[in-house]
Amino acid sequence: MVAIVRIPAPLRKYTGGQRQLSVEASTVAGVIESLIAAFPELRAGLYRPDGALRDDARLFVGSDDIRLRQGLDTPVLDGETVSIVPPVAGA
Amino acid sequence: MRPDSSRYSRQMILPGFGAEGQERLRQGRVAVVGCGALGTVSAALLVRAGVGYVRLIDRDFVELSNLQRQALYTEADVESGMPKAAIAAERLRAANSEVTIQGIVADLTASNAEELLGGVDVLVDAIDNFEARFLINDVATKTGTPWVYGAVISTYGLTMNILPGEGPCLRCLLPNPPVPGSVDTCATAGVFGPVVECISALQVAETVKLLLGRKDELRAGLAQFDVWDGDLRVVTVPRVPDCPACVRHDYEYLRAVATAGTVSLCGREALQITVPRTQPLDLGDLATRLEASRPVRRTPFMLRFEAEGHELNVFADGRAIVKGTADETVGRMLYAKYVGI
Repeated sequence: MVAIVRIPAPLRKYTGGQRQLSVEASTVAGVIESLIAAFPELRAGLYRPDGALRDDARLFVGSDDIRLRQGLDTPVLDGETVSIVPPVAGA
Repeated sequence: MRPDSSRYSRQMILPGFGAEGQERLRQGRVAVVGCGALGTVSAALLVRAGVGYVRLIDRDFVELSNLQRQALYTEADVESGMPKAAIAAERLRAANSEVTIQGIVADLTASNAEELLGGVDVLVDAIDNFEARFLINDVATKTGTPWVYGAVISTYGLTMNILPGEGPCLRCLLPNPPVPGSVDTCATAGVFGPVVECISALQVAETVKLLLGRKDELRAGLAQFDVWDGDLRVVTVPRVPDCPACVRHDYEYLRAVATAGTVSLCGREALQITVPRTQPLDLGDLATRLEASRPVRRTPFMLRFEAEGHELNVFADGRAIVKGTADETVGRMLYAKYVGI
């Protein structure tokens, strides 16, 4: 399965400026794993220093928060969009 | 100027507005929390639309780096040392004298949040930090007041309508505030003026729908917008079944006891020193004392002076913003020495 991952502007510094990436994976966890393998610096945007997933970065498959599906085990279908929404504080 | 309904004629002919809608707006009460980039845009749109009462809350003064995107302010404001809430209120009264505008110069804290955010129909979030947003969420949930989350960074922004008891709250989206330092700020990652206007515009459109009672037309979900890509996406956020705020009604942020604190401001080389006081600081006395040794710029809200190579801005509520350092020890030392604890 090839998922389309949307990288929001605040995280593009970790992906060499790329806005959208195609990632081969069958679940959200697999998508994250492949992303970090390709862009190791992205780990800081998704994981806490202690290794747990940050609870302030939300993941969506299509338009659903993964908490509405099966969390990190949510399957991703071919061509489905996975998006990351980072915490945004500015005004 | 005498009231003249032609002021709103281009708005009243919009479908579903009319004289009745305009009257609803006139009876509407909104607080805009923060008068930076998002706040100045939202406040101007609300005041010009004829929302009858608009409260503007901000703790800061105008800096040169604000002018790139905060259209209500000028170079003269950078010099004057007047606080943003006071300037914004004055400018917007000149734009629409029919609106009651209250400018409040204050830092939102657990001890004043219920008072500052009370008595309004909608709260518009335009603040620059998560701690204050969690306070807004607590007050809004406790009082059942709808609020419109909005935040920007770089070319990107988020906004979500939060209707207490009806949908997810901020803590359903983010269980806890991010660890300080783990999130980019406008000072570290920058912010592009046009995205501010877009996010504020989305926030005000939703606020107007709420005031008009057109709740069925509100946008559901979290909107993400990137102004550079021209890309608006709305995603669904679940309500968390055991959310501490909107389900268990445990208002942790509101319960926090106000303590003396020092916070660095939105990533810039500045600190805010807070010292709880039982009485307001007498700025006149302090100015007289300081003027013996140095020039002091006085406004009714604040004193500004230089000490040991740093600029100190002292507010009547006892807060001080110390510029030119991010070192808390230095900041507190300067406060103790020149203001007094």
